[in-house]
Amino acid sequence: MQKTPVVSVSGLHKTYGRKNEQQYEALKGIDFTIDEGEFVGIMGASGSGKTTLLNLLSTLDTPTSGSVEVNGQDITGFKGKALSDFRSEEIGFIFQDFNLLESLTAKENIALPLSLQGVKKAEISKAVKEVATTLSIENLLSKYPTELSGGQKQRVAAARAIVHRPAIIMGDEPTGALDSKSARDLLDLMTDINKNQHVSVLLVTHDPFSASFCDRILFIQDGQIGQELKKADNNRQTFYQEILNQLGTFEQ
Amino acid sequence: MLTKLSLAGIKNCFKDYLVLLTGLIISAAVFYMFANLATNREFVKSNTQISMASQVFIFGMILLILITIVYIAYANSFLLSMRQHDYGLFMMLGAKKNRIGELVFIETLLIGVISTIVGIVLGIGMSMGLSQILFNQLGLTVHHFNALYWPAIVTTICLYVGLFLLSGIFNLAKLVRTPVLKLLHIDDEVYLTKRRPLVQLTEIVAGVLLLAIGYIAMAKIMTLQLLAVPLALVTITLGSYLLFSAVIVGAVELLKQTNFANKKLHNFTLAQIMFRVRSYTRILTIVSLLFALALGAISVGAGFQRQAPQMAKSTSAYTMAINDMNKQEHNLVNQLNDTHTLTYSQKIVGNTVYYNEQEFVDHPLPMLDSRQALNDGSLKTLPIAQFKKVALDDMDFTGLVPKNGQQKSEFATQSDFENLNTATTHTVTIIRLNNVLAQRKILDRLEKLQQQRFPVPTMATVGGFQTYKMFNALFSGLEFMGFFLGFAFLAMLASCLMFKILSGANKDVVRYNMLNRIGTRRALMKQAVRGEILTLFALPGVLGIVDVLFGLQMFKPLMYHPYAMTGWSILIFCVLYGVYYGITTLIYERLVIPKEQMNG
Repeated sequence: MQKTPVVSVSGLHKTYGRKNEQQYEALKGIDFTIDEGEFVGIMGASGSGKTTLLNLLSTLDTPTSGSVEVNGQDITGFKGKALSDFRSEEIGFIFQDFNLLESLTAKENIALPLSLQGVKKAEISKAVKEVATTLSIENLLSKYPTELSGGQKQRVAAARAIVHRPAIIMGDEPTGALDSKSARDLLDLMTDINKNQHVSVLLVTHDPFSASFCDRILFIQDGQIGQELKKADNNRQTFYQEILNQLGTFEQ
Repeated sequence: MLTKLSLAGIKNCFKDYLVLLTGLIISAAVFYMFANLATNREFVKSNTQISMASQVFIFGMILLILITIVYIAYANSFLLSMRQHDYGLFMMLGAKKNRIGELVFIETLLIGVISTIVGIVLGIGMSMGLSQILFNQLGLTVHHFNALYWPAIVTTICLYVGLFLLSGIFNLAKLVRTPVLKLLHIDDEVYLTKRRPLVQLTEIVAGVLLLAIGYIAMAKIMTLQLLAVPLALVTITLGSYLLFSAVIVGAVELLKQTNFANKKLHNFTLAQIMFRVRSYTRILTIVSLLFALALGAISVGAGFQRQAPQMAKSTSAYTMAINDMNKQEHNLVNQLNDTHTLTYSQKIVGNTVYYNEQEFVDHPLPMLDSRQALNDGSLKTLPIAQFKKVALDDMDFTGLVPKNGQQKSEFATQSDFENLNTATTHTVTIIRLNNVLAQRKILDRLEKLQQQRFPVPTMATVGGFQTYKMFNALFSGLEFMGFFLGFAFLAMLASCLMFKILSGANKDVVRYNMLNRIGTRRALMKQAVRGEILTLFALPGVLGIVDVLFGLQMFKPLMYHPYAMTGWSILIFCVLYGVYYGITTLIYERLVIPKEQMNG
């Protein structure tokens, strides 16, 4: 089956520091694509360039050279309104520190992306209810983030990430602040969203367990993609082992 | 070593310290300015005809002290929140608690002392500048006023250093008692304000009742006498507080249920207001009081300012009469703008001054519509027959004689007048102008020249300018106090609100950063900032204006039209307030709204 890419990255470079100053090259030419409905993981040690890559993909930062296409649009040239509109329409974020607004209820937090797009009140209510049912958080809707546990907060964050049906969900270490049970629940949830709602997922992590939920893993090392692992028909346990082996070879 | 570290910490958050210091300095400066008037008994006595003025100043002082206490409490909690993480870190690294406590205490006191001293210097400067401007622009004459007044300096130092000593002790106790881990992880706790409707309703009713009592007390100042002032202060403060706390929560809850809330960032803005309502209520109450005091003081000042020229207009049909105008005087008159001049001939025979009737037919001398004190200075001209009957009893006419001895006035027909055999024909020129205040310096010189040539033992010359000078001397003190205090309170209000708003910026940086990440347009974020700050500005502003409208009732016994200048002073005040809102918003936007892209 021929799939169209949701994300396609080519020749991506990022250099920090001005000319005449000491420069640091965080990304040294990155090429990859993510197909529609794919669950891709990006792994790498601290300082390997994971976060830089994610920032570039989500337009939070601009590349020094190279191009990023999301849903067929070249996003590197976006400016002003186009930038923020792109972020609010095409991307759903899940962050390590949840990034919920503590002054809004769960329901209001989830509704935020839709409010930004000017969706009508009735439609917002419907969409929020739907997504809440999918993620089984209906009973949490009227609560404030401070009244929720870490796992519950991350579910709310996930609901906010998918409520506006983005082209891709980007997770930046989403399990980083969760206990193992909540982490597994969240990963199951993301797999479920990926499989049943056909939303592409890009997961940035350094945790092999999280990575084992992906279809494909790109290993990034010193600003370049070093290895690629595919789950193919392996089950998760075998894939997990494979990832560990791969990480082991990096350590050598 | 620890001192070094602590100083390095201060360097790091220098911007925050700047905000803190600026706020405290302005507060100290304003307090000094007020104390300068309030502690100066000679000044108060010599410049007010009201016996209770000095007591009113004492109540004002108490109010200002209360405001200062709240203000310093805010500043202190801001300081503590800025530093507790650092100090927690030092403790974790093994610094002794006592040593840390010492540092905190010294730091608090140092900030207090610095801001007090700089504040007093600034206060002296502001007193000088402001009083100079007022003296020059408004032509006020005020006695016993000194920009540098020692008792005021001592009072300010005592209050501020005392309060900072207390804050230092409080900080010391708090840091020493709080566990290190808690110091390191102090997240802003979120206060949920869930209130029962019944409580809210009670608050609204009580708030309105208290405000009403305060307003009535001010209106009944003649019966209540001095009691009206403290009564109004207490009830209005409490009433404002209750009303703000109930109305804000209620209005936000109502708005949240409408379609409005679901659009754009409205829900976010509403939530921001809701979650800060507890700390905002106090500051809004203070700001509305300061707003009312400043606007009230300026309105009263402007009212008195207008009263003197108005009285001048309503007591005489012309501003000044000049006998036998010479060249020098003529030049001065030519310098006056917007004037009407009329010249009549006079011939003096014995004790009688004769006027040519025909001249009054050709150019009738205008007369006041009525001589009641409250008229607005409108004029009428009479037919000659009637004029002749009335004129000889009219002060404006009889006063036209050269001022050297008691003289009678008579009319003569043109031929009779020409046949009168006198050596010289005198003239009298009357000038009438609309804006006495702006041209008072020329008028002063004219008057001096006239008095040299036509000395009057009683100094009681005729014309509106005399009246103006008389009343101006009478009202100068009140006017000066009004404007002086008005601007002082305005400065305090500005620093108070700005400080409160800016001290919340740290927490908002995180929120707006998050909004940016999920793709909120900058324009929307700016709108949210403006909306939130506008609420904080508008609410106390509106209540402040209402307070003033009722508060001016207190001045009815003192002024003809306490409300005459209110519209203008509100307008001018709102413009100043608006400028100040613009500045705060700009600073806030700069602080909290992130760039779209890290390098962009």
